[in-house]
Amino acid sequence: MLKMTNIGKTFLTGQVQTKALDQINLQVDEGEFVTITGPSGCGKTTFLNIAGLLETASSGQYLLDGEDVSHLGDRQRAKLRNQKIGFIFQSFNLMPDLNLFDNVDVPLRYRGLSRGERHQRIEEALTNVGLWSRRKHLPAQLSGGQQQRVAIARALAGSPRFLLADEPTGNLDSKTAAGVMSLLHEINAKGTTIIMVTHDPVLAKNSRRNIDILDGQIRDDARRSTAAVA
Amino acid sequence: MFFYYIKLALLSYRRNPVLSTLMVFAIAVGIGAFMVVYTLTYLMGGDPIPQKSDQLYHIQFDYGDPAVSVFEPPPQLAYRDAMAMLEAPFDFPKTATSRFSEAIEPPSQNIAPFFANGRGALSDFFTMFNVPFLYGGPWGEDSDTNGEQVAVLSRELNDRLFGGENSVGKNLDLGGLVFTIVGVLDEWQPIPKFYDLNNGQFNVSEEVYIPWHLIASQELRRSGNTNCWAPPEGDDFQAFLNAECAWIQYWVELPDQNAFNEYQTFLSNYVEEQRAFGRMRVPIEKRLYNVIEWMDEQEALPNEIKVLTVLAGLLLAVCLLNTVGLLLAKFLGKSAELGVRQALGANKSSLIIQHTIETGVLGTIGGLIGLGFAVLGMKGVKILLSGDIPVEWLHLDMTMALTTVGLAIFSGIFAGLYPIWRTSRINPAIHLKTQ
Repeated sequence: MLKMTNIGKTFLTGQVQTKALDQINLQVDEGEFVTITGPSGCGKTTFLNIAGLLETASSGQYLLDGEDVSHLGDRQRAKLRNQKIGFIFQSFNLMPDLNLFDNVDVPLRYRGLSRGERHQRIEEALTNVGLWSRRKHLPAQLSGGQQQRVAIARALAGSPRFLLADEPTGNLDSKTAAGVMSLLHEINAKGTTIIMVTHDPVLAKNSRRNIDILDGQIRDDARRSTAAVA
Repeated sequence: MFFYYIKLALLSYRRNPVLSTLMVFAIAVGIGAFMVVYTLTYLMGGDPIPQKSDQLYHIQFDYGDPAVSVFEPPPQLAYRDAMAMLEAPFDFPKTATSRFSEAIEPPSQNIAPFFANGRGALSDFFTMFNVPFLYGGPWGEDSDTNGEQVAVLSRELNDRLFGGENSVGKNLDLGGLVFTIVGVLDEWQPIPKFYDLNNGQFNVSEEVYIPWHLIASQELRRSGNTNCWAPPEGDDFQAFLNAECAWIQYWVELPDQNAFNEYQTFLSNYVEEQRAFGRMRVPIEKRLYNVIEWMDEQEALPNEIKVLTVLAGLLLAVCLLNTVGLLLAKFLGKSAELGVRQALGANKSSLIIQHTIETGVLGTIGGLIGLGFAVLGMKGVKILLSGDIPVEWLHLDMTMALTTVGLAIFSGIFAGLYPIWRTSRINPAIHLKTQ
């Protein structure tokens, strides 16, 4: 469902060119749970941004669901992000002055769904993360773990084909992080593809597939069997 | 999505109340000040008779003394020329008109005699200038030619003398002469007083109107400006009438271009004829001015108001520049939120629409407060001007109120153009990690 061929990304800062990604070749199939690891500055987030159509690659080809998305315009990329991709961020990135219901509503608004359908999807998504009863609360009234669950509900409300998670447990304590990871595994078990950037070696070790990036290149692409992970 | 964006705009206001209120007040102050001055310009310099301002023409002649190089042709007519115009072979509505001031002896002994401002005019004056009547109507053409002593009162004078009752048919003692009242006007105060711009364009309309010929035949006490470029040959009134002195406004109603051309030819021939007698030696380019042209020519809108308009415009510009800066700070402060919205499916167009509506909401709030400032400002102007000119007409009408709010919305959106453009160019990826 996601195929990158010779993807490269170069940033120009003044006269200095920096290669963030170099010759990335990768295929992620439907239903996979892939972790991305590597030291700070290795290009993990740049990879995630390109995969999420938030940035364009400087070179190479990117196929999403068989469609070449390397050269799409802003409007088409926004539509694909809205319909096929869900984002989960390290710092949750909830809108502070919108209550939980309205936060989950944001991507559905941009999709132009009817009021009734939006309501149904929001209720379902918030119920799945156990926060429907707190839908009128503001994010600041929730714990970090709860906020991340709301962010997951927001990402899932639009029924995306895959989730991109950038250090989703980075700001959480270990117990809460375990809860969030458990939720992500449940989501993956239901068929949603997940690509997750993490610094946590335990999480990487326990995933079925871990891609290690160094200096903008894939150093290792390790797959483990279900039994090994369990 | 429109109402969703309105909701987001109000939430954004609540999130940054100080910054938002500063912007609203910057817009409100600029708009309020500008609208006060603009309303003055609109009221003082607007078309006072839009239905026919392009059909009513004032005549100006090439009067002057060629020996005096800087002589400006006077705006009014000499008596002999006004009479010649009246005798011209045209059926177009016309009026010679000039001011006088005479004592009125009230019918009630409880009211002391007083001087009233009057106007001599022909019967066409009332129909030409759409003068509204409360009781009765204008006198007939016969009264003009026969010098009948008939009068039309202003509503205010009728209230004063007859307690507001229908006084048509009653007598009026004016300057020792007895006039029969044929009509009472309703409220009538054209701003500016376009039919006589040379004698206080913002003065109160006259209190009593009589046939114009009576000023000469009864030697009434004239008032208003008089320009003479040759001394009268004698001390009596007849000598003054024959003198090269301009004191009469003359208007003619020309319904179409043919009538205009015909009348202009007549005027040119008349001037040529007068030149043969040694008169009218200072050529002017134009002899017929419609209402708007005449207002421009006579600079009916005071220069002070024009200067104030420029200053108020500059103040508005400064306020908007401040708003641009504040909006820029506010919008760039929302970079992370905008990044998230883009990640969740917003394209650049939807962000532009969202922020345009936000600036429109700020402009609307600013406009409503600015409207309040403008109303207060107009009250201040009334206090400042009261005693100099009639101030009852100084107010913000619905057109001006809507213009105020509309201009504020436009200003808000205009001030937001650059900040919105900057905002729409934000790379979402940069801000998602740093929030």
